[in-house]
Amino acid sequence: MRHPADISGESRRLDALAPKLMGMAGGVGLLGLIISVALAFMTEDGVRRAYHAYMVNFCYFLSISLGGLFFTLIQHLSRAGWSVVVRRLSEAVGANTLVMLVLFIPILLGMHHLFPWTSAELLQNDPVLQWKQPYLNAPFFLIRCAVYFGVWCGLSYFLLKRSLDQDASRDPKITLSMERMSAPGLIAFAITLTFASFDFLMSRDYHWFSTIFGVYFFAGSFLSFMAILPVILLFLKSNGRLRHAVSAEHYHDIGKLLFAMNVFWAYIAFSQFMLIWYANLPEETGWYHRRITGDWLNLSYALLFGHFIIPFLGLIGRVSKRRLRLLTPWAVWVLAMHWLDLYWLAMPEYWLRVEGAPVGTIPFSLLDLSTFLGIGGIWVAVLALWLRDHSLIPEGDPRLAESLAFENA
Amino acid sequence: MVTRMSTTVIREIDNTSNDPRQRPVLITQGADFGPITDSVSAVAEAARPPKIWYVAMGISLCLTGILGASVGYLIWMGTGIWGLQVPVAWGYAIVNFVFWVGIGHAGTLISAILFLFRQKWRTSINRFAEAMTIFAVICAGMFPGIHVGRVWFEYWMFPIPNYLNLWPQFRSPLLWDVFAVSTYMTVSLLFWYVGMVPDLATFRDRSKTRLRQVMYGIFALGWRGSSRQWHRYEVAYLILAALATPLVLSVHSIVSFDFAVSILPGWHTTIFPPYFVAGAIFSGFAMVMTLAIPARAMFNLKHIITLRHLENMNKIMLVTGMMVGYAYSIEFFIAWYSGNPAEAFAFINRAFGPYAWAYWTMVSCNVLSPQVFWFKWCRTSIPVMFVISILINIGMWFERFVIVASSLSRDFLPSSWGYYIPTRWDVLTFAGSFGLFMTLFLLFCRYLPMVAMAEVKSVLPQAGRHPGHGQYWGEITPEENGEDRP
Repeated sequence: MRHPADISGESRRLDALAPKLMGMAGGVGLLGLIISVALAFMTEDGVRRAYHAYMVNFCYFLSISLGGLFFTLIQHLSRAGWSVVVRRLSEAVGANTLVMLVLFIPILLGMHHLFPWTSAELLQNDPVLQWKQPYLNAPFFLIRCAVYFGVWCGLSYFLLKRSLDQDASRDPKITLSMERMSAPGLIAFAITLTFASFDFLMSRDYHWFSTIFGVYFFAGSFLSFMAILPVILLFLKSNGRLRHAVSAEHYHDIGKLLFAMNVFWAYIAFSQFMLIWYANLPEETGWYHRRITGDWLNLSYALLFGHFIIPFLGLIGRVSKRRLRLLTPWAVWVLAMHWLDLYWLAMPEYWLRVEGAPVGTIPFSLLDLSTFLGIGGIWVAVLALWLRDHSLIPEGDPRLAESLAFENA
Repeated sequence: MVTRMSTTVIREIDNTSNDPRQRPVLITQGADFGPITDSVSAVAEAARPPKIWYVAMGISLCLTGILGASVGYLIWMGTGIWGLQVPVAWGYAIVNFVFWVGIGHAGTLISAILFLFRQKWRTSINRFAEAMTIFAVICAGMFPGIHVGRVWFEYWMFPIPNYLNLWPQFRSPLLWDVFAVSTYMTVSLLFWYVGMVPDLATFRDRSKTRLRQVMYGIFALGWRGSSRQWHRYEVAYLILAALATPLVLSVHSIVSFDFAVSILPGWHTTIFPPYFVAGAIFSGFAMVMTLAIPARAMFNLKHIITLRHLENMNKIMLVTGMMVGYAYSIEFFIAWYSGNPAEAFAFINRAFGPYAWAYWTMVSCNVLSPQVFWFKWCRTSIPVMFVISILINIGMWFERFVIVASSLSRDFLPSSWGYYIPTRWDVLTFAGSFGLFMTLFLLFCRYLPMVAMAEVKSVLPQAGRHPGHGQYWGEITPEENGEDRP
């Protein structure tokens, strides 16, 4: 173990960067949303299409935020020392579940477009849907969503707030209180994330079911947080922040987790596909059949190679993990693939139960990009807001010195 | 042979403090290089093992004898002596196979995955957990081997070119099992052995008799402890850990495929692979606990396998127990949500049908019993954790029994429903497999370094990390922990 990095002369706050970032990202976000609304009303079937694009990007940024919350929880639970210098960032990303709550309103407005099970007409003619009606109905859906966001926002706000308190008080008891909260917190997190993934993504085809689906969404969620972390770090570093506190040793560990979660995602994705393909039961294969029909097959191959094989080869070595300028491009690649994964999860049902639909075509649209910029811009602006008045590392954490001295020995 | 350690009384010292300002010590007494070597070597160097060892060995050998007799009778008579009857054509043999393979997961998890996660506490328990892994896989491999009936055609399981142009069914997960389990066995064995080489050399160097010198000398592969050897050793260990890590997941995933690729309700569900892996780690840790508690007392190792180690294992059992509980609940929910009547029936039948007694045994042992580990006094109470670890072992056996028996006994055709009752030979073979397992484990404890001495030394505060002039990051001195130096 080396001496702890000297951070006395270090720039550990966003300072002037915060208003700049909030202005720019917020501007892009608003612009994106305005363009989306305009496109929605100007194109044919635009409103339905816009809600779908919004859904993909909402789930995308929600998954990153939940990944941040999970990272914070698991660091507390395992009493990790190495990660203290990046924990403030994960706390802030997790706290972005609060902005996701606000951004959830359009989903509620578009429920009829997004969730065909809300249709009374379908309910009348579909015995399967009638069976599921005690679960798949609008009031219960709303109650569940309230519970999900209650758990996520409550937990992440608690963890951020206590950690900020500790910056001032340096009280080690706060660490214990966060550790204590993390154990039941993780259970609540697991349950809410699972059912949220069922509700937001799996129920889009309400006939389909898969017990592993929650784990699949979790894998992508944690993966995407491990991928956005190097991006944030590179941004901060190139703006002169945290030059000494976060070192190659920390990138190395972030890279290892990124690599591991990427393999874990592939493992879960393979397990789901293999079992359904092998058993070949029509009630399960329909969902995959849509994804291997026509152009969707190309997208499925793109995931196989782009989401697993290529980053697997790229991240397996030591060098690409220890150099931020090599790690970040791979992280961006993984983030792009994670987006494609969510698109692949949510979008094929766009044509489901639509008369005369062009089956097998991918409905790419400018709306995918504009809603991405819209939600993403606001997401980044709020992230900067959390960090505006505070240090970028948990100053009062009793394990900060350990993290600053951390070495992959 | 009198050892130096025998003069020091080993006491139970509480090192489970959670103070975030300092990392607690992992070795509570005699935390120095020499005393660690002394206390671990003492087990193998003592003229006689403790009396209790003979008692345990006696019982284990009896059970092994029963195993030999049951298997012999089985080969003579055929699998008709078992309780297998259509529709339950997979009974104890497959249940025991999955049970033992599952137990064999803790060792590699501890030595590979916890190594990659830099969990220093794993060093005190990894060696005998790995040994346990190997013995468990031996027991596991035996069951499908004898289940085939005509054991003299065993080689048909392997794709060997032959004049009949007869090949195994490559699309069957049972064949994938052959590859998965044998790969796992090979890598685990290699991992265990490579890790043991420096300690075998220590045994060789301390040997007082020619025989011991030669025997340990052969297996120490000429280890001299030069820095070049250490460097290569550590590189090899890291690579083996990286190779073993995916194996921890793949083996039990493939075991779960045995069930999940079918279309039988209760077997075919997509969560099976990660669910089986979590269950395997759960049962593996329970078995490590069941063995560690008597072993540390029997061989005077309470200062190396401390309360903190046990507490950490209890936490892992709590986590993995809840993962298993998560899988049970999601399966149940989706069985209803799917809207498939056969699927829903399978689960109602599990919980309230003829095997309800087994189902609720499983739930109580696996999901409810580990919940006591939320309380620190339970996590640090030896009797409590010993009882819970045995309950988990029982529960995890019942989990596999429930999956196999309840789904098979009542499938799609009610006219062919049945109820599976094992015969005495089923029970005796299973009991006998514990004999084989325990015999091997007791021999290991007596003749091989049961704690990875070299690795334990590497996590001592004085193992070469001296930042800030005598101040150790994350470690405290023995005095601060209320320990008097021997």
